[in-house]
Amino acid sequence: MARVEFRNVFKEYEDEKKGKFVAVSDSSFEIKDKEFVVFVGPSGCGKTTSLRMIAGLERQTSGDIVIGDRVVNQLHPKDRDIAMVFQDYALYPHMTIAENLAFGLKNLKRPKEEIERKVKEASTILGLEELLDRKPRELSGGQRQRVAVGRAIVRDPQVFLFDEPLSNLDAKLRVQMRVELAELHKRLGATIVYVTHDQVEAMTLGERIVVMNKGHIQQVASPAELYNKPSNMFVAGFIGSPAMNFMDAKIENGRVVVEGAQFTMPEAVTKGLKAYEGQSLVLGIRPEHIYGSDFTMNAPTDNKLTAHVTVLENLGAENLVYFKNGKRMITSRLNPETAIQVGAFKEFVLDMTKAHFFDPKTEARIIL
Amino acid sequence: MSSKLTPSRAIFLGLAVVTLLIWALITVIPLYWMFIGSFQDSMASASFQPQMLPDIWSTAPYDRFFNKTAAFRWLFNSLFVSAILTLTNLFFASMAGYAFAKLKFPGKNSIFWVLLSTMMIPTQVTLIPLYILVINTFNLADTYTAIILPALVGVGNIFLMKQYMSTLPTSLIHAARIDACSEFGIFWKIILPMAKPGLAVLAIFSFVAHWNDFFWPLLVTRSNDMRTIQVGLASFKFAESTDYGAIMAGATVGALPMVILFFSLQKYFLQGITIGAVKG
Repeated sequence: MARVEFRNVFKEYEDEKKGKFVAVSDSSFEIKDKEFVVFVGPSGCGKTTSLRMIAGLERQTSGDIVIGDRVVNQLHPKDRDIAMVFQDYALYPHMTIAENLAFGLKNLKRPKEEIERKVKEASTILGLEELLDRKPRELSGGQRQRVAVGRAIVRDPQVFLFDEPLSNLDAKLRVQMRVELAELHKRLGATIVYVTHDQVEAMTLGERIVVMNKGHIQQVASPAELYNKPSNMFVAGFIGSPAMNFMDAKIENGRVVVEGAQFTMPEAVTKGLKAYEGQSLVLGIRPEHIYGSDFTMNAPTDNKLTAHVTVLENLGAENLVYFKNGKRMITSRLNPETAIQVGAFKEFVLDMTKAHFFDPKTEARIIL
Repeated sequence: MSSKLTPSRAIFLGLAVVTLLIWALITVIPLYWMFIGSFQDSMASASFQPQMLPDIWSTAPYDRFFNKTAAFRWLFNSLFVSAILTLTNLFFASMAGYAFAKLKFPGKNSIFWVLLSTMMIPTQVTLIPLYILVINTFNLADTYTAIILPALVGVGNIFLMKQYMSTLPTSLIHAARIDACSEFGIFWKIILPMAKPGLAVLAIFSFVAHWNDFFWPLLVTRSNDMRTIQVGLASFKFAESTDYGAIMAGATVGALPMVILFFSLQKYFLQGITIGAVKG
């Protein structure tokens, strides 16, 4: 297995209509040996392009890509010692499953016995033994997905690349495959780079996550750090579901003033906010840190906000309650036992120990 | 879709059936005439009157066609030329189609448009320069090469294959590239097996077109032995008389491979019409 490194990588496309388009801009990060790293971001953020550059399917405009100890800029995909699982599985439709699994090894001219042994091993790991003589079209989505993973395993590569491999599966199967992939990572001890637009997938699978937007890396951190200390409003809004709420706030006399309420902050935060006295900030608070005043789950109750409930979504295990503060819609995730009536006023409690602050201009996190 | 037969739907279906029947009749009559004519012994053109059924069934026209001419040689020539051209068109058009559909190279779009624009030039315009080139410059008169060379690959066929190849998922090419497959290996082991339906259509179209080709073989062949079946048939027509019976016999024999080909590969013919229209 091996580490992967991006050193100031740029990727520009020449579009006939739009002109020059920067897909990846000055991207630098390191993926450690045996690490499971997830690239996450909305469509067009550059995550798949980054993955394809590691694979060698796209050539970067500038910068270096390192796999193991080698700079692989000029290397053909086959010489990079990587294997990739594609979003649409990309199984060869005219070959049997066994032939699909063996195809890469045959091209590498490995001995027949070795090919047979590896195909057998991979099919045992993934439970494909019964399917080896079938064609891909005879398999279900989940089975095809396993074959695609198997095709990567038999190669025994330095790095596994996964390009949104679960997006074509139904919700139930996706959860099942997610668990299987996590187990597979433990079992293989492989370096895995995984692309997804689904932040739940990113949070559950990734040891570290690279959050991207519009070609720029926003933050590289562990799931917990992304959740607790997002480096900017984009990461704060992208990680977590429902997304973090933002409120326009002002610091007055050491207190955080939003429309219709004033909040007292913990002492350490108040100290830090002194430098911003009189300035506008963006207050960020996650839906799970807003409670109904009658069901506060032991959160501090000194910061309250009364608002008009506009929408209530009952999800069984929780209620999502929507209300407006200024121009912004706020979501709160409440215990289903909280008394809520749509159209009525409701008193909410905001846990300010969990609050985040952002610069309204740069959208960067204000570290207090 | 509802299968309920409403009165308006019944009228529509009735009209459709009648129209199609008339159309089918118009299409079949010349073939029927050809078939019946081939069993009517009428040496003289003046006496050749088409009838619903011949008064006397005679195989004399077939006898004249096969024994008084180089019919077998013509049939062989047609078969040889059509087969070679089908193979070359399959080979070159599929490679070019793949390149235009899936590979990145400088000037790809410009080259493709230049190629396509040549389709808008009528054959007659290029016929004389082509003739001079093949006959005078290359000195290829009365050879198979003269018939085959200009038709090695048709732009229409490249276009057909490009359309078909475009529907194949690019991720398979990437997967094969990562699976250490060479670029030609990708084409040979991955693309071609997947393009079989497209290739079948191309093979049929190509074979039919070259089997039926008349004008170019007529121009570049001189000896009786080098004629294809279509050119050979025309040689039955003389200034003073025409042996319609033998022509009909020859036409029947000449059409037979096409009829067999069509009915056995009907599925692919229909597929050919929809290629490029539906993403599969």
